[in-house]
Amino acid sequence: MRRMTAVVETEGLTKFYGKRRGLEDLTLEIRPGEVFGYLGPNGAGKTTTIRLLLDVIRPTRGSVRVLGVDPREAGIRSRIGYLPGELALEGRERASEYLRFLAGVRGGVAKGRIELLAERLEADLSVKMGQLSKGNKQKVGLIQAFMHDPEFLILDEPTSGLDPLVQQEFLSMVREARTAGRTVLMSSHVLAEVEHVSDRVGIVRGGRLVAVEDVAALREKAVRRVELHFDAPVPEEAFRDLPGVRDLKVEGASVHCTIDGRPDALIKAAARFTVVHMVSAEPDLEEIFLTYYSEDVHHAHVGA
Amino acid sequence: MPMLVRKTLRDYRRALIGWTIGICVFTGLYTSFFPQMRENPDFYNQAALAKYPDSVRKLMGGLENISTGTGFLQAVVYQLFVPLLFIMCAVMLGNKAIAAPEEAGTLELTVTLPVDRKRLVLERFAALALGLLVVAVASLAVVVVLGSAVGLGVPFGRILAAHTGLYLLVLFFGTVALTVGAATGRKALAMSVAGGYAVAGYVVNAMSADVEVMRWLNNLSPFHYYSEGNPLVNGLQVGDDLVLLAAAAVLALTAVLSFDRRDVGV
Repeated sequence: MRRMTAVVETEGLTKFYGKRRGLEDLTLEIRPGEVFGYLGPNGAGKTTTIRLLLDVIRPTRGSVRVLGVDPREAGIRSRIGYLPGELALEGRERASEYLRFLAGVRGGVAKGRIELLAERLEADLSVKMGQLSKGNKQKVGLIQAFMHDPEFLILDEPTSGLDPLVQQEFLSMVREARTAGRTVLMSSHVLAEVEHVSDRVGIVRGGRLVAVEDVAALREKAVRRVELHFDAPVPEEAFRDLPGVRDLKVEGASVHCTIDGRPDALIKAAARFTVVHMVSAEPDLEEIFLTYYSEDVHHAHVGA
Repeated sequence: MPMLVRKTLRDYRRALIGWTIGICVFTGLYTSFFPQMRENPDFYNQAALAKYPDSVRKLMGGLENISTGTGFLQAVVYQLFVPLLFIMCAVMLGNKAIAAPEEAGTLELTVTLPVDRKRLVLERFAALALGLLVVAVASLAVVVVLGSAVGLGVPFGRILAAHTGLYLLVLFFGTVALTVGAATGRKALAMSVAGGYAVAGYVVNAMSADVEVMRWLNNLSPFHYYSEGNPLVNGLQVGDDLVLLAAAAVLALTAVLSFDRRDVGV
């Protein structure tokens, strides 16, 4: 079968602002139909990457293709929905008029679509743009990104300024887009914001991509704390040196440990005894995420 | 009308209304002083000569014959104040094309629309030219109507010729602001280049009659092409008008090419 064209394909993509590094040597592929979480602290290069994909800025070197073509081809941008990280809306124009203008330039949107999205996000479009609150600006930004049902959504820090309920609504919009076969690239500086909707996450730091991980795999790898309680004291030897089991502490009838990855070996070992109670905490992806950061910090120190 | 032109004009609307009113009121007030001037020609001629030292008078275009309709119109409308106001309007609108929205951050979403960057600049330029044309036509109407009401006695063709020059002059300076903005994205820079060029161009042109160096420099002054043929007396100055128009076109082309080439909003 022919491989489907990647939605984003970059190779050695590099951007310097004068001498300052914005992004260096990014090689990344985003596949059709996936939700890609793009993570990193502020100033890591997320926005630089996104602006390169949209031809707002031009690469210093390297190549970039979006939906199979050079982003300089203006025509492809009607197939993209973009929410800028720092969305500026001003003037006396009403939000609804501005949305109609954007819709017109992009070749029109389905009837009632804008109103439907506004209702879902509880946005008031009759307000003049200069008078919109931060949260409402973000809603207008989301509406314009989603309204023409684009093949590719690029959302830079989409949840900033949204209250929790609206965030949930937004996440369900992302899920619906994925169900409809759309591709989504969304950036954030917090993993928790993207982990529940993303298929893969890329972690960028200091202008470099430090990891790309499958979220399911990441979850599998995640460290989780487990407690087992038995009906009688258990011998420590039964649990010692099990693959993936660390920080083992056996105290009478209870076992405390952390496991890396699959809990299989531990469960099988425990099955030989009578388990009366078991506690397993949700894997903490944030912890893994921070490991990437701290490793990088470590490297930076070595380099300094 | 292309969508971006229409949208840009809509964004200009309030500013355009304000400037049109301002420039028309100014033009109208000055034009309506003519009857007084005509009644007391000697007094006002003397006063003009006495009030301003020679050098200042030169800067104001000589202020000769201000008791005739043509001389009066030249001195009060076409010489200094109206062009100055109108140029300020043009520079401000020119800045609104690229640099101001870029600094405000609103240009980011615009450049990610499925519109070629070259076309974006061209359509913004077209909106600038149209917007300025609105102000020019309105102020032309004021001069023509009030002028005939107060009996200026200047033929319509001559006023139209002078106004054509005025329009091209302000279009040029508006385009300077647009172009500097398109090339650099910096509002203050665009404003000061256009403003500085206008002031320097005016001074050089006014002094060129007396100062040799200025005569050569004057070839670079848009005011030279605006005023040398004296269209209010001699009618349409096709050559001079074409120079201004061509200069604006070259600048607009520069704007298109340089904006197409650079990063936006960095």
